[in-house]
Amino acid sequence: MSNEAAATAHTATAVETQPGPEPLPHGIGASLPSAESRAKTEGTFPYAADLWAEGLLWAAVLRSPHAHARIVSIDTSQAREMPGVRSVVTHEDVPGQALHGRKTADRPFFASDVVRHHGEPIAAVAADHPDTARMAAAAIFVEYEVLEPVTDPEKAFAAEPLHPDGNLIRHIPLRHGDPEAAGELVVEGLYRIGRQDPAPIGAEAGLAVPRPDGGVELYIASTDPHTDRDMAASCYGIDPDIVKVVVTGVPGATADREDAGFHLPLGLLALTTGCPVKLTATREESFLGHAHRHPTLLRYRHHADAEGKLVKVEAQVLLDAGAYADTSSDALAAAVSFACGPYVVPNAFIEGWAVRTNNPPSGHVRGEGAMQVCAAYEAQMDKIAKKLGIDPAEVRLRNAMATGDILPTGQTVTCPAPVAELLAAVRDFPLPELPKDTPEDEWLLPGGPEGAGEPAAVRRGVGYGLGMVQLLGAEGTDEVSTATVKVHDGVATVICAAVETGQGFSTLARQIVQETLGIDDVRVAPVDTDQPPAGPSCHGRHTWVSGGAVERAAKMVRTQLLQPLAHKFGMSTELLQITDGKITSYDGVLSTTVTEAMDGKELWATAQCRPHPTEPLDEAGQGDAFVGMAFCAIRAVVDVDIEIGSVRVVELAVAQDVGRILNPTQLKVRIEAGVTQGVGAALTENLRTPRGLVRHPDLTGYALPTALDTPDIRIVKLVEERDVVAPFGAKAASAVPVVATPAAVASAVRAATGRPVNRLPIRPQAAVAT
Amino acid sequence: MRTARKPPGIGKGQPVLSTHAPQAAHTAQTATLPATLDEAVEALAAMPAAVPVAGGTDLMASVNAGLLRPAALVGLGRISEIRGWQYQDGHALLGAGLTHARVGRPDFAALIPALAAAARAAGPPQIRNAGTLGGNIATAGPTGDTLPVLAALEAVLIIAGPGGARREVPVSHLLAGMDMLRPGELIGFVRLPLLHAPQVFLKATGRTGPGRATASVALVLDPARRGVRCAVGAVAPMPLRPLEAEQWVASLIDWDGERTIVPEALTAFGEYVAAACIPDQPPAEDGSPQPLPPAVLHLRRTVAALARRALGRALS
Repeated sequence: MSNEAAATAHTATAVETQPGPEPLPHGIGASLPSAESRAKTEGTFPYAADLWAEGLLWAAVLRSPHAHARIVSIDTSQAREMPGVRSVVTHEDVPGQALHGRKTADRPFFASDVVRHHGEPIAAVAADHPDTARMAAAAIFVEYEVLEPVTDPEKAFAAEPLHPDGNLIRHIPLRHGDPEAAGELVVEGLYRIGRQDPAPIGAEAGLAVPRPDGGVELYIASTDPHTDRDMAASCYGIDPDIVKVVVTGVPGATADREDAGFHLPLGLLALTTGCPVKLTATREESFLGHAHRHPTLLRYRHHADAEGKLVKVEAQVLLDAGAYADTSSDALAAAVSFACGPYVVPNAFIEGWAVRTNNPPSGHVRGEGAMQVCAAYEAQMDKIAKKLGIDPAEVRLRNAMATGDILPTGQTVTCPAPVAELLAAVRDFPLPELPKDTPEDEWLLPGGPEGAGEPAAVRRGVGYGLGMVQLLGAEGTDEVSTATVKVHDGVATVICAAVETGQGFSTLARQIVQETLGIDDVRVAPVDTDQPPAGPSCHGRHTWVSGGAVERAAKMVRTQLLQPLAHKFGMSTELLQITDGKITSYDGVLSTTVTEAMDGKELWATAQCRPHPTEPLDEAGQGDAFVGMAFCAIRAVVDVDIEIGSVRVVELAVAQDVGRILNPTQLKVRIEAGVTQGVGAALTENLRTPRGLVRHPDLTGYALPTALDTPDIRIVKLVEERDVVAPFGAKAASAVPVVATPAAVASAVRAATGRPVNRLPIRPQAAVAT
Repeated sequence: MRTARKPPGIGKGQPVLSTHAPQAAHTAQTATLPATLDEAVEALAAMPAAVPVAGGTDLMASVNAGLLRPAALVGLGRISEIRGWQYQDGHALLGAGLTHARVGRPDFAALIPALAAAARAAGPPQIRNAGTLGGNIATAGPTGDTLPVLAALEAVLIIAGPGGARREVPVSHLLAGMDMLRPGELIGFVRLPLLHAPQVFLKATGRTGPGRATASVALVLDPARRGVRCAVGAVAPMPLRPLEAEQWVASLIDWDGERTIVPEALTAFGEYVAAACIPDQPPAEDGSPQPLPPAVLHLRRTVAALARRALGRALS
């Protein structure tokens, strides 16, 4: 039915646009469509799982079935003898560094003596058929001595070290202000946040092809190709120059894509067999392999005065990092720094720990650290409002942060921080109508259209969430990106190793070049590691640093293009202007086209963007650790069936601080995607790991939000206050809705039921009331 | 060529991809597509290792997960005699090959409303288009959505065996394992009474979109026999029938009038059903009562709410 409807709609628009062809949107601020969306919709987009090479072999990875065990022996003889098996590799076959990791090299390529989490890679097989490879992997005999897993992060402190590096990955004791300060009102709470999985719809897949020079090429959907290349080269013990990562067909990413546990073995198998090797992960392997959001335990005590102004916040934040460090230290820095939220807090004492357990490793998932603390500090704000008997939005307004205020880390917020404006916008937006005012067949009660919802048992609640995230990597990370712009024959090409993960970078790059050079036909080259690094795709980096680098390179090309003309007419290039492929001077004397000015030449320019440096947090958690910040306010309206505890989010009203709108359609899509991921974290998404073992690693057991679970998303206000230090003044938009949505939904369920709701995702038994 | 897509025809017999894998010999799969029920039974008898497949929504998931590697398949999709229904002295004889999508349509809902409601709740449209009634019974999953309805309606399965044999088995016997499908047998039809009275199926899930039931209740009224029949799904490996609660509540209904009941009785019925399906823990050794774990307690509350709502809707 929807197909027909879409087809009709399509024809209708085609007919409408026939009379006069509309000029295609171009440049900054236009809703340029993504170049890939058409191919993705039509099913012609080549994803990593579609790769093929002549004579390829298939790989399979043997993963640990235990959360914690000592490996007594590994016997691969049976697997090696199976017909069709070409290579079996274990830790003994790793030629280079045995350990790797994104921040700290603490993760073994293959487990050798101990397995520390369920799904840890132990061996890999290459065979001429995927089934042979899987059967051979199953035929590897590993003798384990099963050990007691440490799965409770609170017990990790006192437990035997699980790793030579110890169980404490990072501790930040943030101290800011007067420890003796006390308020008239004290509220306390204990909060638990579950394990969200990024659950990429396209599971991990890749192809490794050996090179004649002894190196290897990895065709993977990496979001951080240069780091992946460096890790691979150090593990293979070869020069990074002969390892090449080619980024192919990323099917969307909300976290670090591509688990090192499968693409490192893939390259090693290609090197040992001399043949191309391919692997497509099953859904189960995907869940076992990649990093998850940090499950977090939070204890909070807020002191406020009689007006509800915050006096002091004391908190303990405990992040379960899982078996390996990954990027947990960054997540902890974000959690501790934003532990009080976008509120003015004169005195803050936050203890943060990231500890090692035998749970599956946690890592970068957007909004990491910030999302967990947001759920807790917003619950605390609700408690203050309830104690004082004032409106929850009012309490938040009284404490809202603004530009010039100081974070608990001692850093002054120099970027626009229109928190009060955002909150007022969502608060004043009209509430959705009640179901009783609409026709009965349109009611969608909690439990769904075929569910058990009973109007008499449904209560409506309204709640708020204010979130903030960092932009760019923090604490002295060298955030740099390099981009090249080439113009030849009326076509501009952008070469930049920033991966298009669905965040819209390639569209943005095209818009930037269109805006600067007036050339509409802009192409974005595929990414590989022969290009200079652009860094990982996270924290809104590419909008800022890669976008900035593209702009600079485009401006350099512009100067090269205009210099001869300017020289000829004796004016500076600033007085010339390019619009719609035409070059005109300020006085209209000169008028020519870009093509003429190019005169068959090929123009190239390469530029870097490196924002101002940051500093690490010191031993008291103080320091200017962040380049930029983004804020948003969300008002959630929920319906709760208070007898069964089923929750339906009716509407989410979003107001966001975006700096400047670069592409209205994509911005809307990014906000909607972030909000939807937040709804999942609030209600259904929790990867259960009793005793460290991943349960239900499939999309039936792990419930992602469907279209029916996703509420109406109203973008109420986009505050365009340019951040002067950011290119175009823009702030990346994807992460902050993920941070604030779960808090807003929990707040609304609290309002509907009167229950404390201190655990995410919200379990039905926490949402029942009488 | 490395990028782009597979060239067509890659697979068996292509030199680029040899399949001389050790398991290749016994996964050389044969699939037969019989046109009648008896042919299907014969095909199963001829190849005892063959697995029958209808919608494949459960079977193929197991195959893909590597849990099952059928040596041969007997496809039931072309057997037209089991894809419809007919009437038989006050009963409906449903073909086991009816899909959930078909059962969910309004014309069927007029016949057996609770079964139609269960079929509509059984997963997303893709699953409902493929999954069949017989498959739901044969899989006998604890969360099978049609099963509590079949249990409440006391459905009888007509099972086809070798040589044209037919035998009848109550659905509850099959689900409880009292009477199993023998090798070579297929569920052919399901016989259900036509009660001409309100029927309700209610299901609680973890989300608004399609999901597995955390608890479900099917409730049917049988005015001719002045009975209420109820079954609770998903809380146990098979649907549970709270027989005492059924009899008690049937005695309170004013069958000759407007079939009304006092509201307190609805609540009491819900709690009666829930306590019967999710009993209290046996007391501790010192005789003190043992509380149920919070999650179980919530499940019990959910069942109570569903049963109360179901009866309320059936009598309204």
